[in-house]
Amino acid sequence: MRIYATVVYLFLYIPIGLIVLFSFNAGRHASELRGLSIQWYGKALSNPFVGDAFFTSLEIACIVAILSSLMGTAAALALQRMSGPLRILLDGLIYISIMIPGIVIGIATLVALVTVFDFLNPLLASLWPQGYTPPKLHMGYASVIAAHTLFTMSLVIIMVRARIAGMDRTLIEASMDLYASPWRTFYQVTLPQIYPAILAGFLLSFTFSFDDFIISFFVAGPNTTLPVYIFASIRRGITPEVNAIGTMVLVGSLSLLIIAQFFMRGDRRRARVS
Amino acid sequence: MAIREHVRLSGWRTAALLAPATLWFLIMLIMPLIVILIFSFGERAAVGGYGGGFTFEQYANLPARLKAFQNTLTYAPLGTLMSLVVAYPLAYFLALKVDRRFKLFLLVLVVVPFWTSLLIRTYAWIYILGGRGIPAILEWVGIEGVRLINTPTAVLIGIVYGYLPLMVFPIYVSLEKLDKRLLEASSDLGGSPVKTFLQITLPLSMPGIATGCMLVFILLMGEFLIPAFLGGGKVFFIGNAMVDLFLQSRNWPFGSAVAVSLVVIMLITVSIYMRLAMRNKTGADQSLM
Repeated sequence: MRIYATVVYLFLYIPIGLIVLFSFNAGRHASELRGLSIQWYGKALSNPFVGDAFFTSLEIACIVAILSSLMGTAAALALQRMSGPLRILLDGLIYISIMIPGIVIGIATLVALVTVFDFLNPLLASLWPQGYTPPKLHMGYASVIAAHTLFTMSLVIIMVRARIAGMDRTLIEASMDLYASPWRTFYQVTLPQIYPAILAGFLLSFTFSFDDFIISFFVAGPNTTLPVYIFASIRRGITPEVNAIGTMVLVGSLSLLIIAQFFMRGDRRRARVS
Repeated sequence: MAIREHVRLSGWRTAALLAPATLWFLIMLIMPLIVILIFSFGERAAVGGYGGGFTFEQYANLPARLKAFQNTLTYAPLGTLMSLVVAYPLAYFLALKVDRRFKLFLLVLVVVPFWTSLLIRTYAWIYILGGRGIPAILEWVGIEGVRLINTPTAVLIGIVYGYLPLMVFPIYVSLEKLDKRLLEASSDLGGSPVKTFLQITLPLSMPGIATGCMLVFILLMGEFLIPAFLGGGKVFFIGNAMVDLFLQSRNWPFGSAVAVSLVVIMLITVSIYMRLAMRNKTGADQSLM
């Protein structure tokens, strides 16, 4: 049993180990190890395309995380006091948005938005006052953010709703009975109880958006996110530079995970004390 | 009066809280799905894209991509099954055999790879299975002519590797919740370890198995990266066919028909699966989350 577990762990970690090892390759070819060096990290860090792609991904992931935790929490709060057909409809939409493969979402969004933009752009141009350049709608940041947020918002709704379901409702009633305004009740009673779920949803949304390849591949337009850049580089042939980027991404996600763990543990400890 | 005022206000508040999410669902989910549904009944324009019209030609044409459907419907269930076979003993080990002190650490070690990019983890296998990886080692040992990359085996290895954590976790959770006294009772009553496992452990871990298989299967149906990297154009899924149709040959109506068929197949298989899980009462509440 123990041997079996060891083998599975090796299976999980050898590929990751190889990427890290080969990122320190001194040779030019990805598949032969010729001495160790950190030159590829220098190359990757000074490559303007890598930097651009990284900051594009970072910006998109931050906005997606903020938008989906705000809208998802709002929707979860509203849904818990609803019942009837509208509730069933929205529940259905939440599950569909999670279940439909990313590739279908990516393609459908691309096709739909391109069609809508083709229709709206001439309309905007004709409506715009003469002498000013009319705005032109196109695929880019906004479309990636919108498409990622669809999925991550549904994740946040499910996570926050599970937390609300486990919450002590009598506290809210007590707060209402004591004439606290709804806003104050939310801020002082509900929020402290659900914020671990919101924080977890925020981090999940960020990680999903930052790592997503398939949706961005279709809807990013001229903007390149980091996974799209890595995919294109692999298609051109793996270089130690790709490995260096991959290692940095791995280290980045790991540090985020550790930070998240740290936060939650702190939260749990505080909960135990109080 | 005051009460009615309050109710109406809270109705407005609910609507305001729901508005952004509803708007998002309308524009980013319902509209795109309706658009590809309409396109799937259209004709291809001469320059590519959508050319209007109403025809069932695209659906009649689906057998042209039969291979992609066959591959997906073979390797998605097979990959799910293989992940289950690899994951179950590990989950069992983690839930029932490991010393408390190391449990959390070992569990985190399983999950960590899942939270890093699948793209990066998958391309590592291009090395390992490629000409200079395992085949070179085998040649050195004396076994020649082994080809791994761009074969179904490579794709299946990639699948198990990519989705293992997703399978281990739900099974672990259901085994962890299991009342250990039942296992003791069984062995006290003279049940052999095999019998205890088959009659107690396995049935009680069914909810976890159901959840894990469902998650992995859904993700595999829409898989693109693993066949693209490790199948090298020889083993391709519906996802790869769709990328090809939309981006290379720009045949939007046909691509839409493929996409619609994929969604329909998924809805059918998942609802059959859910019904089975429901009938098998233990699986019901968990697999629905």
